[in-house]
Amino acid sequence: MGNNFEPQIVGFLCNWCTYVASDLAGVARLQYPPNMRAIRMMCSGSVSPLYIISALKKGADGVFIGGCHIGDCHYQRGNHSTLKRVTIVKHLLEALGIDPRRLRLEWISASEGPQFSKVVAEFVNQIKELGPNPLKGT
Amino acid sequence: MEDKIRLHCKEILSGKKVDVIWGLREKDGFVAPFLFQSPEDLDSLVVSSKYPLSFTCRPSKETIISILQKKEPGLRIGVVARGCDERALVELAKGEQINLDLIEVIGFSCDQAQAEECLCFMPFPQKLLFGTKVEGIPEDKAFHDLLAKELKERLNFWQDQLSKCIKCYGCRNACPMCFCKDCRMEQPVYTETGWLPPEFPLFHFVRFYHMADRCIECGECEKACPMDIPLRKITKYLRAKMKEIFDYRAGLNAKEKSPILTTLDEDPVKELQDEIR
Repeated sequence: MGNNFEPQIVGFLCNWCTYVASDLAGVARLQYPPNMRAIRMMCSGSVSPLYIISALKKGADGVFIGGCHIGDCHYQRGNHSTLKRVTIVKHLLEALGIDPRRLRLEWISASEGPQFSKVVAEFVNQIKELGPNPLKGT
Repeated sequence: MEDKIRLHCKEILSGKKVDVIWGLREKDGFVAPFLFQSPEDLDSLVVSSKYPLSFTCRPSKETIISILQKKEPGLRIGVVARGCDERALVELAKGEQINLDLIEVIGFSCDQAQAEECLCFMPFPQKLLFGTKVEGIPEDKAFHDLLAKELKERLNFWQDQLSKCIKCYGCRNACPMCFCKDCRMEQPVYTETGWLPPEFPLFHFVRFYHMADRCIECGECEKACPMDIPLRKITKYLRAKMKEIFDYRAGLNAKEKSPILTTLDEDPVKELQDEIR
């Protein structure tokens, strides 16, 4: 693929924090790569591990989950379960032979637009290094 | 040991300490689970045959014990149990399937050969009445070798192994921990129906993930699998990870909550934040 590889990333963004941060990044005209397709979730805690693996299976090169900081969750403790689940899923992916770096969890609050664009750019670069998802087309 | 267990069972059954005993019976050369109601029946009780977790009942996805407890509230059941059986009882109680207070565990240990065959980490029940404790096998060496290999090789290994699957649901049906009425493995959203082999890795991922905080390492899934898929390699690995990260082991304490169900306030996990990056 070489340098022409443009990864497709599925982003599950929390309605109350990261989605607003992405909006803010847009309003502030911050530049970040357009590789991420955002899916708005009501809470990062409603991202089932099966969504993650479905996304990878259906051809996403990376999965990004954005939620509120611990303690700031709109639903009190939704992101606590996200953190635990993602940890387990990462180990499971590693055991199955899929690079766990293809999954990334970040806490980005509503006011952190610059942080959002920085993280997405970083993640896209990382996926570019990792190359296409081996599950694609299997 | 068998005679001693029989004698003990007779004693507690005739002494009305329990109302019934759930164990294995040998009849005409066949071993099958049986509900012993009178002390005379207990002569045919056996423990030597490997038939663990004989209390699972399909396809209603309920266990015999939960059915019994639902139909006869207050029934005291004695269960002749190995280490894995006891752990299954504890986990079923956590899942509110059974009432552990009404169950009397008649625990006996497995021998070294059985422990090695099952790769059992704890081949004896916590409430050990008969037999002696033998060393468990904490780690699966073969999987360690696999983990040392590169990601691509591991992926190829699992693609090969899991493509053997004939989607018989044997692993799920044999699993004492799979008691959900509505199973994700049957939902067409996640796995296409009428298609073989099932999608890699979605179909198996459902069980692997759900077993992370529940697996009691009985090895029934692997034994039930007609295609010899080494399913336990993953479940055993995840169990070890749960111990490492959350300090949680399923099946040991009925009062301990699964870390997936607790919040970070109740159960702070140090450095988990750094771990995920």
